[in-house]
Amino acid sequence: MTNLMSRAILMSTPLLIGATAEVFAERAGVMIIAIEGIFLIGAWGGFVGAFTTGSSFMGFLLASFLGVIIAALYGLITVKLKQHQIVAGTAINIFIAGIVTFFHRVLFGVPLLPLTIEPFKTMPVPLLSKIPIAGPILFSQSLLTYVAYIAAPLGFFILFKTSAGLVIRSTGENPESVDVAGIDVERVRLIVILIAGFMGGIAGSFYSIVYLGMYTSGIIGGRGWIAFAICFLGNWNPLGAMVGALIFGIAEALAIYMQSSGGGILPNELLIAMPYILTIVLTISRKRFNVPTKLGTPYIKEH
Amino acid sequence: MSRRRDTLMSPKMRDLIITTFLSVFLGLAVSGLMMLFLGADPLSVYGRLLQFLVRDKYTFADIFVKATPLVFTALAFAFTFKANLYNIGAQGQFYMGSVAAVFISLFLGGIVPGPIALLLALAAATVCGGLWGMMVGYVKARFQANDFLVSMMSVFIALALMNYLLRTVLIEAKREYPQTDPILHDLYIPIIASGTRLHAGFLLAVTVAVLCWIFLYKTTIGYRIRVVGMNPVAAKFAGIDAGKIFVIAFLISGALAGMAGFTEINGVQHMLVQGFNPTIGAEGIGIAILANANPIGIIFGAILFGALKVGGQILGQTSGIPSSIIEIMEGFVMLFVLISYYFRRRIEIRREIRKLKSEAAQ
Repeated sequence: MTNLMSRAILMSTPLLIGATAEVFAERAGVMIIAIEGIFLIGAWGGFVGAFTTGSSFMGFLLASFLGVIIAALYGLITVKLKQHQIVAGTAINIFIAGIVTFFHRVLFGVPLLPLTIEPFKTMPVPLLSKIPIAGPILFSQSLLTYVAYIAAPLGFFILFKTSAGLVIRSTGENPESVDVAGIDVERVRLIVILIAGFMGGIAGSFYSIVYLGMYTSGIIGGRGWIAFAICFLGNWNPLGAMVGALIFGIAEALAIYMQSSGGGILPNELLIAMPYILTIVLTISRKRFNVPTKLGTPYIKEH
Repeated sequence: MSRRRDTLMSPKMRDLIITTFLSVFLGLAVSGLMMLFLGADPLSVYGRLLQFLVRDKYTFADIFVKATPLVFTALAFAFTFKANLYNIGAQGQFYMGSVAAVFISLFLGGIVPGPIALLLALAAATVCGGLWGMMVGYVKARFQANDFLVSMMSVFIALALMNYLLRTVLIEAKREYPQTDPILHDLYIPIIASGTRLHAGFLLAVTVAVLCWIFLYKTTIGYRIRVVGMNPVAAKFAGIDAGKIFVIAFLISGALAGMAGFTEINGVQHMLVQGFNPTIGAEGIGIAILANANPIGIIFGAILFGALKVGGQILGQTSGIPSSIIEIMEGFVMLFVLISYYFRRRIEIRREIRKLKSEAAQ
């Protein structure tokens, strides 16, 4: 049980980082549809950085750098060129799948054995990790998990208690008012997209650096979409995203646990499909959503 | 003088064609630069690619074999796109169609005469894909669920369902691999060019694309679908039931993707293999974007992507360039097409301004 909860929190980490990034961007009116691709390039970049230098830190650095590059491309097309976000995001996702496979081959050829990296060590918090039950669950995680669970409440604070947060939210609700106040709407959106790219890249690198210690082409397998869904289900609130990420973390940990223990009566495939079914069920059952008014709409300034 | 040229082809259409060709060219050129990373000479690679494509009848016909399912998945995306809906779950609907087609083919093959069983397989694939897609439209209409999100998730669920069936009910007699037994010969879609794999499914795809165009642009229901997409408020005032349109649009969209399952199972694979054609859903979206969601344009877009796929495979086998270069080409082409949308809009605005000015001067 302790093990299961600990694993749930571990698996919720990248989802929480990704969903928090998505919350920020969507509050400013931009859906990051490219999040699946950003996760993927983050996972790959994380692997390449860590594998070639032997340092996990370099892995995170390269992952976040590539995440920002892709986010910049996405921002250019959706914000500057005012193109359709879903269409642009889908194109970028396909593009990244190709780029990553291609360059993986360019860099490493076709290795006979899977290339592995030193797994990222867990970092038990002194004293706190000695608490019974809560200690091993909450305070014996990797650094990334602590960062994620600090970033979400911090994100809540920034978004709802600071003037920067007010600007971001107004950009998604009423961009004209932001414009009238003399703030460049497009710049706000671009900055938020770049931050989201940074966080998305880090979130993706979790799967290669922290979780698997290697890279495979199916490593993300729709987890970016789940982070995207958590943002919706968490009602565009970082704290809601925290609850959502935990639910999905538990679902994923449960699936892994039941698969390893032979599955029992439920077929394996049902467990694999569980997070996706859960997303649909939760989307249907939530009645009231706080959708940012201008979500997905490019801002066209009237002269 | 200019008036006469305008009647031949509207400037809008001309811009569309020129910019699309330009984007395709730029996309391929930039992908060529990527080949430099492998120390390959892009010009000679492209030269060889073209040579290979027309090398023999079999290879050339394969372009259209590969294009066939892409026409369907691209139509699936385009159809909902016209109603401002997003069915990005064509992959899942395709899988459901495949399962239905192989199920009918395996269980009716030898019992029911070939042509009838073939038609039943097509019907089953269409209905199954359609119902799988309709669920998305239904939850959108009934619960205001986000269609984009739900259709995305439905892909993973369809995949899990297909894998489950392949492991249990549909598994081959040897029970070794997660795949079905091959279907009987008289359930193959007829070949239309001897010595190739080109089957009548391609003709079906072209016909369906034309029918989609007629449906969207020449019928009342098609008009309603487009109105809901272009102006939901006006549609409401006109008394169009948006919820009903959502369900219908997703039903048809899913049915189109399901047909791809039929052509792939009965036309190409002749069995169901785990995880086959994993990218045609996404490629369909790319083609729809490339074709500006026009059903006729989609046929040509699908042929282009088909040629890239065939060419990429040959390159992968013969010259050490990984076949993932194809996805890079597709990706770059799509990105340039998106950028061309922006420039086309600017050109159009400028032309309007010029026209207004010249009219004012008169």
